Amino acid sequence: MLFSIFFLPLAVGQRASDLSGISVDPLKQSPGRIVVLVFVRTDCPLSNRYAPLIQELSVKYARESSFWLVFPDNSKSPEEIRGYLQEYGYKLAALRDPERVLVKKSGVKVTPEVAVFNAKHELVYHGRIDNLYEDFGRSRRAATTHELADAIEAASKGVPPLVASADGVGCFISDLQ
Amino acid sequence: MKRLGRTLAIVALFLFFAAVLSTKIHSGPRPQEQTSAANLQITFNRDIAPILFRYCATCHRPGEAGPFPLLTYSDAKSHAGQIAFVTRSRFMPPWLPEPGEFKLADELRLSEEQIKLIAKWVRQGAVEGAASDLPPKPEFVEGWQIGKPDLIVKAEQPYRLPASGTDQYWNFIFRTPVNRTRWLKAIEIRPGDKRVVHHANVLVDRTESARAQESSPGAGFAGMEIKIESEAFDPDSHFLFWKPGTIPYTEPDGLALRLDAQTDLVLNIHLQPSGKPESIQPSLGLYFTDHPATLFPMLLQLENDRKLDIPPGEKDFIVTDEFTLPVDVQVLAIYPHAHYLAKDMQAFATFPDGTKKSLIHIAKWDLNWQAVYRYDSPVELPAGTVISMRYSYDNSADNVRNPNNPPKRVVGGNRSSDEMAHLWLQILPHTVPGEASDPRRLLQEAMARHNVDKNPADFEAHYNLAAMLQVRGAAAEAMQQYEMALRIRPEDPAANNAFGGTIISSGHPEAAVQYLRTALRTRPDYFDAHYNLGIALAMQEHFKEAVEEFRAAVRINPRDANAEANLGTALAEIGNLREAQAHLEKALAIDPNLALAHDNLEELKRQSPGEKP
Repeated sequence: MLFSIFFLPLAVGQRASDLSGISVDPLKQSPGRIVVLVFVRTDCPLSNRYAPLIQELSVKYARESSFWLVFPDNSKSPEEIRGYLQEYGYKLAALRDPERVLVKKSGVKVTPEVAVFNAKHELVYHGRIDNLYEDFGRSRRAATTHELADAIEAASKGVPPLVASADGVGCFISDLQ
Repeated sequence: MKRLGRTLAIVALFLFFAAVLSTKIHSGPRPQEQTSAANLQITFNRDIAPILFRYCATCHRPGEAGPFPLLTYSDAKSHAGQIAFVTRSRFMPPWLPEPGEFKLADELRLSEEQIKLIAKWVRQGAVEGAASDLPPKPEFVEGWQIGKPDLIVKAEQPYRLPASGTDQYWNFIFRTPVNRTRWLKAIEIRPGDKRVVHHANVLVDRTESARAQESSPGAGFAGMEIKIESEAFDPDSHFLFWKPGTIPYTEPDGLALRLDAQTDLVLNIHLQPSGKPESIQPSLGLYFTDHPATLFPMLLQLENDRKLDIPPGEKDFIVTDEFTLPVDVQVLAIYPHAHYLAKDMQAFATFPDGTKKSLIHIAKWDLNWQAVYRYDSPVELPAGTVISMRYSYDNSADNVRNPNNPPKRVVGGNRSSDEMAHLWLQILPHTVPGEASDPRRLLQEAMARHNVDKNPADFEAHYNLAAMLQVRGAAAEAMQQYEMALRIRPEDPAANNAFGGTIISSGHPEAAVQYLRTALRTRPDYFDAHYNLGIALAMQEHFKEAVEEFRAAVRINPRDANAEANLGTALAEIGNLREAQAHLEKALAIDPNLALAHDNLEELKRQSPGEKP
């Protein structure tokens, strides 16, 4: 009897991957740096509206942190995601997270929410980007709290942020197959 | 040769609004009646699809306003929890009015049972169910919703919506889409990318007055609320409103909207940045009918913007207005309007016997989902009925939509950071055959008097009442009201011009001159004032000066036959016969039926048979 042994690349299907299908662990990619995971989906108007701000913050904090866009929707192909990135002017690295490995690690529930890992790669903040939205259809003219920016600045000083989590308003990640 | 053109002062009324309609939703399959046994398995195909097809798919399908489609099981499954959440909170489907005594057309409101059903489906794991249970997909018309329009007009220039920032309000002017009077039975508004346009309104600008606000022709202009000047008695009004999911409303025969040449259509749209730059270039589809209007609805406005002076922190600031109907009317549609601080809006009808009925109640106002609501069948209100509005505003920090952080004093105004307290009703007065007085005039005059009583220091209230009185021929009272208006704004060109015109009509051209000159000092390119001043001077036989005014008038508006005819006549008076003949002929070229030009041209030829120009 012949046993064929498959060395399955364990990462496939169990870890996040970049748009060419190579599995990526965004924390290992950025040793000693703050890592920000931004969870979005292509068909969520709330996360779309945040695109300019997310891009802007990634540039503003480029020195101390690495931003990754994470798409938890496995029904969207890398091509669709590439098209989306171009449409919204994103210049960030994008990851697909079909098995929700990063979602679980980050404790996020909706898009857009973010997770901030400090330089030691401890999760120090997860939740909304700011308080622009109070609820679906109920938004402020401008945000009055800025949890993501505050968390990055706290992490860069090596202190915990004032809030460790704040619920976001957006599209439920749990709805995705 | 003393005949001169009619001393018709073209008066301008200030109205915030002109026109509209309402919405018709495709009626898909009805939701099935449910036997809600606690253990029943809810399935998409049997229970949920009928609800989504009927209430959601109109917008949630490709090319429409909904950000994702809701046409298949997989569409619904990938947003299932969110659907349960937003239906529970009644954010979706968007429908602001509470159920009331008068049924509204195309109601987009889920029942409690339907909401519970969706929640239960999600709790049970959002199961698909048997394929045989799935109702047929709703059918939607692609492209123009009620067939190819008779005329399509497109905005001259696109508006570029930035990727981020606050809501934007933009106005496009569609210039003179017709070259003769036509009757419109419907307008389809195609606002551009429906995902960023929250709502849109078309205003009929019969005096092309909005053009003055454009930096260059076709450029459009910013602004949340726009003012359209209209003629003194021009109440024929329809709501021409678009919100996501709107199917254009086709007016029944007899209710067509008049569209003349030299009329602009102004499209006011509310846009929300989407995260990427968008280019918005709307178009309008016009549908004509051969049946001129025989019924004349008008828009009645209750408002009390002057009472809006809301201190910071105030959570329940009340503004009211009420108006007693002088005639019997039918209410066809209703449009409550405010900005970001309003929270609860109510309108009532108190009948002559004291019975009070709610016309509309919006308990959670949301500017983004404002709409015109048409009644399923017209609401009959007899003369003596009091229509009242009661709006409540929250200017505290608890109101997240508060444009000011921290809150500050807010007053009435046109900017999105100002507030408004408006209630519009489209009404159809009962016309009694053979009755001399037009009930619409009675209504407008009653409304104008109401506004003067309410706001005695308000220029526009006096001005509007004066204009109405003038048209009715009540010159003495009109002059009183113009004087009151001028006391408030002594330099206002429109009021000075109209006052001057009324003085001319009352036979005192010499007294009118100073007002007309004031009008021209503040607005040198004011056609009406040059024309009226020309008339006033000619009546005093100052023909040389009159010629100068008429010349200025035709320079500003070369299409006006009366101005050309009067210029020709005045030139004849100073002996410039050759030029006189040219202008009289030009007047006839513009309007071959203009008696003044005809008669004076004949007279001119008789007096100087030898001369050939």
